[in-house]
Amino acid sequence: MTTTLAGGRAARRQTMRRIRPRRSPAVPLLLAVGAGAAAVLWLWWHNTPSIADNTGRILNAGRITGLLAGYLMALVVLQMARVPALERRVGSDRVARWHARSGRYTLCLIAAHVFLTMWGYALQAGKSLGDIVQQTVDSVEQLPDVGKAAIGTGLFVLIGLTSIGGIRRRMPYDTWYHVHLMTYAAVFLTFWHQITTGNDFAVEPAAKMFWYGLYGAVTALVVWYRILTPIRLNLRHRMRVEAVIEETPGIVSVLIGGRRLHRMGAEAGQFFRWRFLAPGMRFSSHPYSLSAAPRPDMLRITVKAIGDHSARLRELTPGTRVWAEGPYGALTAQRRSRGKVLLVAGGVGITPMRALFETLPGAAGDITLLYRANSTQDLALWDELAKIADERGARLMYAVNSPDGERPDISAENLRRKIPDIDRHDVFMCGPAGFAQSVYEALRGAGVPARRIHHESFEM
Amino acid sequence: MRKSHPIRRVVLATAATVSGVVLLLSLKPASGPAAASAAGAAPQATASGQAPQGGAQAAGAAGGTVTGDAAQTQYGTVQVRLTVAGGKITKAEAVQAPKGGLSDQKTALAVPKLNQEAVAAQSARIDAVSGATYTSTGYTKSLQSALDRMKSSAGSTGAAGSSGSSGSSGASGSSGASGSSGAAQARTVTGKVAQTQYGPVQVRITVSGGKITQASAVQAPKGGLSDQKTASAVPKLNQEAVTAGNAHIDAVSGATYTSTGYQQSLQSALDQAGG
Repeated sequence: MTTTLAGGRAARRQTMRRIRPRRSPAVPLLLAVGAGAAAVLWLWWHNTPSIADNTGRILNAGRITGLLAGYLMALVVLQMARVPALERRVGSDRVARWHARSGRYTLCLIAAHVFLTMWGYALQAGKSLGDIVQQTVDSVEQLPDVGKAAIGTGLFVLIGLTSIGGIRRRMPYDTWYHVHLMTYAAVFLTFWHQITTGNDFAVEPAAKMFWYGLYGAVTALVVWYRILTPIRLNLRHRMRVEAVIEETPGIVSVLIGGRRLHRMGAEAGQFFRWRFLAPGMRFSSHPYSLSAAPRPDMLRITVKAIGDHSARLRELTPGTRVWAEGPYGALTAQRRSRGKVLLVAGGVGITPMRALFETLPGAAGDITLLYRANSTQDLALWDELAKIADERGARLMYAVNSPDGERPDISAENLRRKIPDIDRHDVFMCGPAGFAQSVYEALRGAGVPARRIHHESFEM
Repeated sequence: MRKSHPIRRVVLATAATVSGVVLLLSLKPASGPAAASAAGAAPQATASGQAPQGGAQAAGAAGGTVTGDAAQTQYGTVQVRLTVAGGKITKAEAVQAPKGGLSDQKTALAVPKLNQEAVAAQSARIDAVSGATYTSTGYTKSLQSALDRMKSSAGSTGAAGSSGSSGSSGASGSSGASGSSGAAQARTVTGKVAQTQYGPVQVRITVSGGKITQASAVQAPKGGLSDQKTASAVPKLNQEAVTAGNAHIDAVSGATYTSTGYQQSLQSALDQAGG
């Protein structure tokens, strides 16, 4: 194969340093988030000397849920601000799961806040729970900024509905994405009523400043990392499609040229969000891993045609402008804590593993790649892998279905037999969720501790 | 990739949130609306959140503290607390004073002087601090009411300041500011706090010879649009209350919630004045 990107030795030298795993900052971050929530609750506690009756309790429950929702809303947006510390250290997949979970939770808090507050107001006005709808209409009409907040809440409900698994899978990715982008509008619309009608912010100028500071900081991060950073990156590197190569039936590689691409700071195992400025493709971006270590003049992605977008990649013509955002992802050599590494790839999950296989520093025999595919025909990039294995004395194994369609047995015993010292390996893994789950269990059974199994999964 | 348990997570999150909120709510003292509104309504009141509004705690001959009525000024509320020992003021302090912007400086400048003057004069005849006239006037008013209260509780030592403390317990708002000494004459009654959507409303009336001679709102919605509405509605409502002599007054259009709250608080003040 003429397209083999041999930058292996140079890239290895780049990452050749003492193996010292960088701890994910997840735990300190979660502690900070908890401390912030405690501060928000303290604010309420501080401004509420006593509660008179049940109406007061309902209203105060509404205030607590509202305050927490306002706080979490800022964090939900922050999680998608593509802050490098989150994307590259915690891992894009984990942050995306946090985002989905905290988003759902925040929506529930908003619902509780609206219901409790309107119920409390209705009771205050001498009405009952049954008049809550009328009360809501009155409040929306009369209270400052609550009209805007109502529109924002409507958007949140829409965004929440389109993100429910079953509904999301039935709609095109682009539609879902653009509905999701309305979150910014919804956050903006709901922000103002917090300041103008929120008791704690009216009473406590310091609290108001804190709130402006929180939302201001998140806005600044979003503008910086989602807008300005990609603009700068693309102006600097000016990427274009160089060639499209069919690797195996259904799997294509796209070679992307540009200026000084090694200066983008991408590492093997990471991905970019790619947007190809071709008709019908310019409005959506998709995450694809680099399938080779970045070279100064060339990047490569390898993609399996599963969706609309990936199927259209094969029709890309050389010269097409490329808009990339990244690099993202934490499945890099930094996670490694041992000298020996086992890479496990399932199907097109080979792409980041291929880049790591080439670049992970290690002596002969330290690196092993286990490649699972349906058949030997589906072993994309096999020639390259064999060449790398040869060159650096790494082990390369594959597991495919038997001719009668039977799945290979990747069990704890088999793994132990093939790799006797497997429990002293770091394992990097990439593949479909079901495959990853079963391999994970086999690895755990074979004695690999969970903290040494590094996996990236975009399943929610 | 540990197995995820979505249902378990949902149940846990719900249970944790609900019990957290319920715990927070139940830890708050369930005292009367007067105390609740004292801090809720007046931004300045946070310092006095726990301070009884207009209560004399075992003051008088024995000594203790007396808190005067909150006096509203253009820049905010002023409320004075006296520490009394042997019938003398040993310490005066402002539990509430105007805050925010320029007021912070003025308060910092004026209040210590006023405190000193009050202790020196042992009466409400103290000089205003120049440059802080409004605060001084409010201070003098609140000081006078604290002195009145101190004297009245000193006169009826048997009651041991019960008139004051019944006010502070909040069941009836702060009632009987100067009531116990001359019940037949003019007296001031403060109604219960009425919560409205925009904030609490509390009405104080002066009753003389069975008639309302004066009505004022000691609390009214604040902030944003509410400032305008309060400014336009409350004077009208005050007039109406004096004219009507009862709580059957017309709502001011455009300020329905405030009007309703006003009527409620007025009614409770009238109930107290009658009883």
